[in-house]
Amino acid sequence: MTKNRKPFSKDILHFENIDEVVGNICTQLKEDVFKRFHRYGGVIGISGGIDSSVTLALAVKAFGADKLLGIMLPETDSSPESEQLARDLADKFGVKSIVENVSDALDGFGCYRRRDEAVKRVIPEYDPKVDKMKVVIPKEFVNKNLPPVHFISVTFKDGTEKQVRLPMEEYLQIVAASNFKQRSRMSMLYYYAESLHYCVLGTPNKHEVQQGFFVKNGDSGADVMPISNLYKTQIYQIGEYLGVPEEILSRTPTSDTYSAEQSQEEFFFQMPFKEMDLIWYGYENNYPAIEVATVMNLKTEDVEKVYRNFIRKKHTTEYLRTGPVSDYYAG
Amino acid sequence: MREEIRNFIAETAFSDPSVIKDDTLIFDEGIFDSMGLLGLINFLESEFNVVTEDTELQEENFGSVERIACFIKKKGAA
Repeated sequence: MTKNRKPFSKDILHFENIDEVVGNICTQLKEDVFKRFHRYGGVIGISGGIDSSVTLALAVKAFGADKLLGIMLPETDSSPESEQLARDLADKFGVKSIVENVSDALDGFGCYRRRDEAVKRVIPEYDPKVDKMKVVIPKEFVNKNLPPVHFISVTFKDGTEKQVRLPMEEYLQIVAASNFKQRSRMSMLYYYAESLHYCVLGTPNKHEVQQGFFVKNGDSGADVMPISNLYKTQIYQIGEYLGVPEEILSRTPTSDTYSAEQSQEEFFFQMPFKEMDLIWYGYENNYPAIEVATVMNLKTEDVEKVYRNFIRKKHTTEYLRTGPVSDYYAG
Repeated sequence: MREEIRNFIAETAFSDPSVIKDDTLIFDEGIFDSMGLLGLINFLESEFNVVTEDTELQEENFGSVERIACFIKKKGAA
């Protein structure tokens, strides 16, 4: 074990000096937006989720509400609750907010049509007008030492549900079509950012960035990402500290991407975020699996399995985090 | 059969077939990811007429060239 390192504990991620942490983030945010990029303020896509809410709250503290614009970007499959929560958030922090529904843009791209064609090839009785769909990793396929296998889940109008494993072609088509959503939102955010000479403030958190749960040139398309080094539990702690509304703090993080409701845990992360935070911290800081397992009342082999899963995800998603490669000619 | 499997894995993973031994753990070693697994399922169906049931998606059946070959035999193909 590394010398002088704190023993692993369940509250190892808790900020004791939250004033200082928040102060430092805000100082750097101001420096980057004003002095480095010479922009007058920031636009944020606000979804009613914890990440965009905390990003907005940090930006208000850094710049003041008058230098921010909150943009709600709903589309056909978005939950109406999300828009209301985002509106309440902007009102609470005194930030001007607008709604830009991107459904027509998505129709133009053929987002829904392309996605539904692929779903119907797997479940022909799926009727997108009345049935709901989502992509899931069933619990029995989690932590089996194999990469995740995705299933399409359709909830029919009579409430019955059908799940079928996705073949490669259909899986890729559904993901590619759905990613129009994040990319359309990014385009709209940049429309406003350029109109106002502002920066786009991105909202991905540490897990999303490191494990590759984002859309390249979609929600990763931003100029600054103030919470991208923070664990989810730390984001909640900052949210509480900055006064993010309780309805947002207590809400289960969702992907808000497919027509059926779906948590981020179900779609991608495969474990509760509190547990994931601690194991990720252990992995990233080279704590032996046995030490993490003992503190968390888990089996050592299960923690080792999760460590291996993290390594695999980091490796397979490196492409997403890599910008365009351009060093082809030395000159 | 093992050579066909090895060549498929190597070709899909842009890797040298000689580094993929019969007992190399293709997922643990980072040679294959989830796209690789989906491709492998397609490959078994097209090349060996082996249809993989959901319950058969186990490391014991897919973890290495050797295990995949055993799985194909168990399914009565080849």
